[in-house]
Amino acid sequence: MKASLFAGMGYSERHKFPLTWPVPPGYADPEVSVRSYQEGMDECALAEDVGFDWISLSEHHYSGRIPTGTPAVMAAAVAERCKRITIAVLGHLLPLNNPIRVAEELALLDNLTNGRLVAGFLRGTPNEDQVYSVNPSEGRGRLLESMDLILKALTEPQPFSWEGRYYQYRTVAVWPRPVQQPFPPVIVGTRSDDTIRYAAENRLGLGVSFLSVEQTAVITDKYHKWCEEAGWTPGPDNIVYRGSIYVAETDELANEWFEGLLKSKPGPNIPLRRTVAEAIQSARTGGPFDLRGLVAGSPEGDVVGNALGINFIGGPDTVAKQIKEFHDRCGIGVIDMPFQQNKVDHKAVMAELELFGREVIPQLREF
Amino acid sequence: MVFTEGVVDAAGFSIRYWEAGQGRPMLMLDQTSWQDTMLHDALAEKYQVFSLELPGMGESAVNTTSQSVGDLATVAAAAATALTSEKYTIIGTSFGANVALWHAMQSSDQVEALILVSPTAILSQEPPANATSQEVHAMMFAHAENAQKFNSLSAQVFAKEKELIQRLGHDAGVEAKLADIHCPTLAIFGKNDRLVSPEAARVYREKIPNCNIAIVYDAGHCIVGDRPEAFVNSVVDYSEHWETFIVGHQSGLIYP
Repeated sequence: MKASLFAGMGYSERHKFPLTWPVPPGYADPEVSVRSYQEGMDECALAEDVGFDWISLSEHHYSGRIPTGTPAVMAAAVAERCKRITIAVLGHLLPLNNPIRVAEELALLDNLTNGRLVAGFLRGTPNEDQVYSVNPSEGRGRLLESMDLILKALTEPQPFSWEGRYYQYRTVAVWPRPVQQPFPPVIVGTRSDDTIRYAAENRLGLGVSFLSVEQTAVITDKYHKWCEEAGWTPGPDNIVYRGSIYVAETDELANEWFEGLLKSKPGPNIPLRRTVAEAIQSARTGGPFDLRGLVAGSPEGDVVGNALGINFIGGPDTVAKQIKEFHDRCGIGVIDMPFQQNKVDHKAVMAELELFGREVIPQLREF
Repeated sequence: MVFTEGVVDAAGFSIRYWEAGQGRPMLMLDQTSWQDTMLHDALAEKYQVFSLELPGMGESAVNTTSQSVGDLATVAAAAATALTSEKYTIIGTSFGANVALWHAMQSSDQVEALILVSPTAILSQEPPANATSQEVHAMMFAHAENAQKFNSLSAQVFAKEKELIQRLGHDAGVEAKLADIHCPTLAIFGKNDRLVSPEAARVYREKIPNCNIAIVYDAGHCIVGDRPEAFVNSVVDYSEHWETFIVGHQSGLIYP
């Protein structure tokens, strides 16, 4: 099994942020910000040194918690620092982006890394529909069309026009061609049947994030079934699970950290004003929405969302067993982990990476 | 738009056609049952449209005279000459596009632009030999609900056309002749066409000197059935602008 560092590149003083999204840019001190990215790069370099297989970057916006709104830029920087490891962009939020631009970024990254790229196609969390004013009700349609268009753009050797539902381009001719032919490995991050089926039918990988092993198995079982119907069997690198982690020298030390975290009452996962959150959800599902039926949010931030749970926590042996459960039950071949948790600073992340590389990765290699 | 039915005598055949509109002539060589679509109406708003029923297709008599696609193209050219003295754009659909290809090669002085819709001349993927009219009809659409909006061919017409297409349709030499087409050409395909390989589009682009290819997302072989608006927009745009249809002309201005 392979290990991947989900490089959040978090702003080091993110504990000072308010619980609202977006986080006002005024909270960003350029000096702290520059240092934070350098620390994030140091974490990537260490991950490569201690035996991680992948480093993943993802597109998130308007907050310092994962301040990589342009993941291709971040991936290019990491790829220059880390010369051997696989660089996974997991991923671009396709409904927000120009698909041709995404194809160009992926093709360029695959060339810059000489074929070390893994690409990811995602819809994005509800709040992120708002970043570029995408109508949430169109997100799924945009995602499905974008995937088709990007794959076509990466593989078509002749210029072509595209007459889509959401995208129309009269000249598409992406340069350079990817190093990995016909295109770099692609992971579709999803929980939805239509995109699971799309991944299976197009022989693409699957990514699942932050669910329990039972919930994940429901998704991966469908994926395996539909892959079989499409006439192929996914390999270990085709199925990625992203789960948060805290690993300590012992189970007791890990639990001690977690107890401290609970006492500090961590903030919600996607802290949106309730009115906004419900309007987005209504648009995504096509349900009715009446603002007047809701009590407006408070100036302090009337928020919704669940506290982010920790998927893997404990000493090295415990964490390895927890990860193995995903491997055995769900066929997960790559485990992608953000180590930048609440109350875990850069120095602690570096220590965790050392420990994970020394004590956990050798166990992952056994299955 | 009301199309008027007529008959034109050409090369020994009496050919039914439908006509509407004013302006530069457009000659349409349609697959049977696709002679009354949103595209015909949209083109007739701007052009003089002639839609021909090729000998051996539709309600016409069995055609045992034509020995090649080129022969059929000669007949179509003769019909066009009888209908108009001007140069024209020719639009062919499916097998009709194969005839249009030959027409453009044989009558280069008459054809000012060529539009090939789901052409089957290259890398076509034949339906199973024993497939029924209904089964082939279903294969032409990306979505079953769109197939239900249109009638499939009667068994008699299906058998007649199938025999003609199988007898004339396999023309290994056409690819080598594509370089002889010098008029502006658009080849348009459905992304989910199950009757033509997705690799076919690039062959036209490579071989025809002035060729654009267009891919219609979420459409099968019958593009006008699956994505009528997108299809009509691209064909009408190309008819108007030829190869310059790639130049953006939609305004992105939100507030002046």
